[in-house]
Amino acid sequence: MRGKADARSLAARLGAGPWPVYCTLILALLVPLSTNQYTQFIVNLILVYVVVAVGFNIVIGNLGQLAFTSTTCFGIGAYTTAILMVHVSLPFWVALPGGAIMGAIAGVLASATALRGIRVYYLAIITLALGELMRWVYIHADTLTRGTDGLAVPVANFFGFPFDSEIKRYYLFLAIAVAVVKSTSNLLRSRIGRAIAAIRDNELATASLGIATGQYIIAAFVWSGFVVGIAGGMFALLIGRVAPESFDLTELIFHFAMVMVGGLGSLAGSVLGAITLTALPEFFRSLPGLEEMLFGVLVAVVLLFRPKGLASFFAAFLPPFRQRFCRPDS
Amino acid sequence: MLYQLLISGIAQGSIYALVALSLTVVYRGTTIVNFGHGDMVMAGAFVAYACVVLLGMPFAPAALAALALLFVLGWAVQRGLIEPIKAGPHIGFAMMSIAVGYVLRGTVRAGWGREVLPMPRVFDVSPLVVGDVVLTGDAIVFVGAVATFMIVFFLILYRTQLGQIVQAVFQSERGAALVGINVGAFHGATWGLGGGMAAVAGVLLAPVTLLYPDLGANFLIRGFAAMTLGGFGSLLGAVTGGLLLGMTEQLLGGYVSTKLIDIAAYLVIIAVLVLKPNGLFGRTAVVRV
Amino acid sequence: MTQLLEIDDLSVQFAGLKALTAVSLHARSGEVKAVIGPNGAGKTTLFNVITGYTQPSSGRIRFRGEEISREPPHLISQRGIRRTFQNGGLFGDITVLENVLCGLHTRTGSGFFGLLFGTRGATAAEREAVARARSLLDMMGIRDVEDRVARDLSGGQQRIVEITRAIASDPSLLLLDEPAVGLTPPARDQLVEVIRRLAGERGVGVLLVEHSIDMVMKGSDLIVVLNGGQRIAEGKPDEIRQNKEVLDAYLGYGSGYSGDSRA
Repeated sequence: MRGKADARSLAARLGAGPWPVYCTLILALLVPLSTNQYTQFIVNLILVYVVVAVGFNIVIGNLGQLAFTSTTCFGIGAYTTAILMVHVSLPFWVALPGGAIMGAIAGVLASATALRGIRVYYLAIITLALGELMRWVYIHADTLTRGTDGLAVPVANFFGFPFDSEIKRYYLFLAIAVAVVKSTSNLLRSRIGRAIAAIRDNELATASLGIATGQYIIAAFVWSGFVVGIAGGMFALLIGRVAPESFDLTELIFHFAMVMVGGLGSLAGSVLGAITLTALPEFFRSLPGLEEMLFGVLVAVVLLFRPKGLASFFAAFLPPFRQRFCRPDS
Repeated sequence: MLYQLLISGIAQGSIYALVALSLTVVYRGTTIVNFGHGDMVMAGAFVAYACVVLLGMPFAPAALAALALLFVLGWAVQRGLIEPIKAGPHIGFAMMSIAVGYVLRGTVRAGWGREVLPMPRVFDVSPLVVGDVVLTGDAIVFVGAVATFMIVFFLILYRTQLGQIVQAVFQSERGAALVGINVGAFHGATWGLGGGMAAVAGVLLAPVTLLYPDLGANFLIRGFAAMTLGGFGSLLGAVTGGLLLGMTEQLLGGYVSTKLIDIAAYLVIIAVLVLKPNGLFGRTAVVRV
Repeated sequence: MTQLLEIDDLSVQFAGLKALTAVSLHARSGEVKAVIGPNGAGKTTLFNVITGYTQPSSGRIRFRGEEISREPPHLISQRGIRRTFQNGGLFGDITVLENVLCGLHTRTGSGFFGLLFGTRGATAAEREAVARARSLLDMMGIRDVEDRVARDLSGGQQRIVEITRAIASDPSLLLLDEPAVGLTPPARDQLVEVIRRLAGERGVGVLLVEHSIDMVMKGSDLIVVLNGGQRIAEGKPDEIRQNKEVLDAYLGYGSGYSGDSRA
C-alpha cells in the first residue's frame, strides 16, 4: 500500500508544475515522425475537434446552459472561411478569423435567447432549430454555397507557402489549438471564468455580488462561438470542402458527446473527450450501425459510472486535470 | 385548394400531435424530455415491419407486438438508465436519451443496412371525395386511429381513477408519494407509455412510408415544434400544436414554396419562442428567491 | 453613524397577496438591526425588495439618499449592499477560495484582453485578489478548507463561507437572511461575535433576519418586528421582549426562550 501512495504523491508532484505541459508539447511536435498520410489526417481532425470541444464546453459545461449552438457556429465558421476564400479570394489567415467572427456573432444571437430566461428545454430546442435552419440556408443559398454539392476550399497559402500536406497543416493546426487552449485557460482561471461558473451555480446569488450576469452570459456565448468558428475554418481547410451534411444533428450529437465523455466544464476534459471520440471510431469503421451502437453504449456507460467524465477520473491523482477558476499557486 | 391543404395538414399533423403528446406525457410525468423518442418511433415501425415481413404475422398482432416491446423498452430505459442518474444535471438526461436513440438506430442499421424498405399495404380504405377535397385512404386511417387513441387517452386521464392518480403525480410528486403512490413505478410506467405511444405512431407510419433508420429525427423536431407552439408541457397544447403545425406546413408549401415544408417546424419554433414563449396554452413558471 | 438605508411606506403586493403593507424602516452604519416575525410575516420579501429581486408596488427605498426602488440586483449590489440567502446562495461546484474571489469580483480590475493574453498586469491583479481572499479566510477561520469544493462542507461552514464572500468587497450594508440556521450554539455565538465586530470595527450596517430569539437578543442593537406584512414594533431588545403585541404575535410560536424554531 505504501508503494501506491508514494506513486500517487510522485504523480501529484510531477503533475503540479509546468513540466507536463512542456513534455506534452515536445511530444506533440514529434508526432509526424510516427504517422502516415491517413493517420496524420486523423490527428489533424482530432485537433479540429479539440477546438470544437473546448469552445462548446464553455457554454454547456462552464455556463451550464443546454444550448445546441455548436453545429451552428461550426458551420457558419466553415462556410464563412470557404466563401471568403472562394468568392472574395481572401487568404486563409484573413478568412479563418472572419469565420471566427461570424461564429461569435452567431453566439450573440444565441445568447439573446438565453438571456430571456426561458426554461431549460426552450433554449435547447430553439438552438436546435437555428442549427437546422442554417443547414437549410446552406442547401438553398446555392449561388454562394453550391448547395448540396458543397463548396471546394482552396489550399491554405501563406504568402506563397502552401499548406498542402497533412504534416504542414498539422503544425498550423497545432499552433492554433495551443493558442485556443491557452487563452481559454487564461479566461477560465480569471474573474471572467469565475463569474461564468458562478452564474451556472446560482445566477441570482451572482447578481447579489454586483456582477452583471447578462454581460457574462453574452461573453460566454461569444467566446464559445468564436472558438467553434475557428474550428469550423480549420475543418474547411482540412477537408477541402464544406457541405451541408457535415453540420447536421449527427455532428451536433458528436460534439455533445465529446464534452460529456471528457467532462462538462473541464478544459482538460474537452481535450480528452475530443481525442477519445475522434480516435475511437477509427477502430470500428467496418460494420454499419456498429459505430452508432458502441457510441450510444459508451455515452451511457460514462453517464452511469463516471458522470463527471474522463477528466474527473484523472483529476483524482493528477492535479492539472482538475478544473480551477483561479491561480492559487501564484 | 385551401381545404385540400388543410385536410392534408390535419392528416400529417395527427402524427405530429401523437408524437408531441407522447413527449409531453413523459415530460409532465418525469420532467424529462426524451430526445430518443424519434428513434423509438422508428423502432416501433421496424418491429412492425419485421413481424409482418419476416415472421409473416398479420398486421394486428404485429402492431401489438411493437406496442408491447416498446412499452417494455421505455420502462427499462427509465428504470435502468434514467433513474440511476437522476441526481445529475438535465444535460445528462438529454444525453442519455440520445444515447438510447443511437443504440436503437445502430441496431436497426446493422440489421438492415442501407436499404430503404417498403412495407406491403395493410389498409385498403378507399378515398373519400367531398366537393373538391380528396381524403386519401391513408389519411382517413391515420386521423381515425390517432383520434380514437386520443379520445381513449383523455377519457382515461380525466374520467378514471387511474387517470386521477396520473394527474396527481403530474401536479406534485411529493404529494403523491405522501399519499402512497409509488413514484418510481410511476416513472417507469410513464416512460413505458411514452414508448408505447411511439410504437403507435411507428406502426401507423410503417405501411405508408418508406422506412429507414434515420426517420426519427424529423418526427422529434416536429414534436418539439408542436409542443412549443401549443405550450410546452400542455397536453392539449401538444395535440393542438401538432395539428396546427401540420396545417402550417401544407399551407406554406402550397402557397409559398415547397422548399419551406422542410423548415416550417424550425420557423414555427423560432417565431413562437421569440414572440410568445409560452405558446398557446403554456403556463409561466414563477421563480422564488 | 450615518443613515444608509431609508425605506418609506413600502408595500408589496403579489396578485392578491399583500406581502408587505406600508413598512418603514431605517438602517444605519455600525448598527445591527434584527428583523423578526412569524413565518410569512414578509421578512424575506423585505430583503428581496431592498436588493432588487422583487419590485415594490408602492413606497420608496433610498440608499445613501439615492432612490434604488427599481434598480436591478447587480446595480444595487454595486452600491455597496451585500446579502446572504436563506436557501444556500453558495456556488456549490467551485472551491471556497473561488467563492470568496467571486465576492471580490467588483474589486478585481483587469480588462478582457489582459485576462485573455495573461498579461503581467492581469496576473498581478489576480494575485492580489487571491491574497486578499486568503486573508479574509484567515480572519474567519476557514483558511484550512480553501481548496474544498463548497458543496462538500458542512452547513455551518457553508454559512461562514457565504458571509465571508459577502463581506469580501467591504460593503456598507449587509443583509443576512437567517444566517444561523443549522449552526450549533457555539457556532452561533461565534457568528454573533463576527457580526458585532463587523458593525463595531468596520462600521458595517447590518440587517439580520433571524428566528433564533436568543441570538437576536444577544446580537442586535435594535429589533424590528413584522407580522402579516406590517411593522408592529421597533425598539431595543429589552423593550421588544416585553412588548404585548409582539408576544401576541408569537403566541404558540415559542417565544422567549433560546433555541431555533427549526431542527
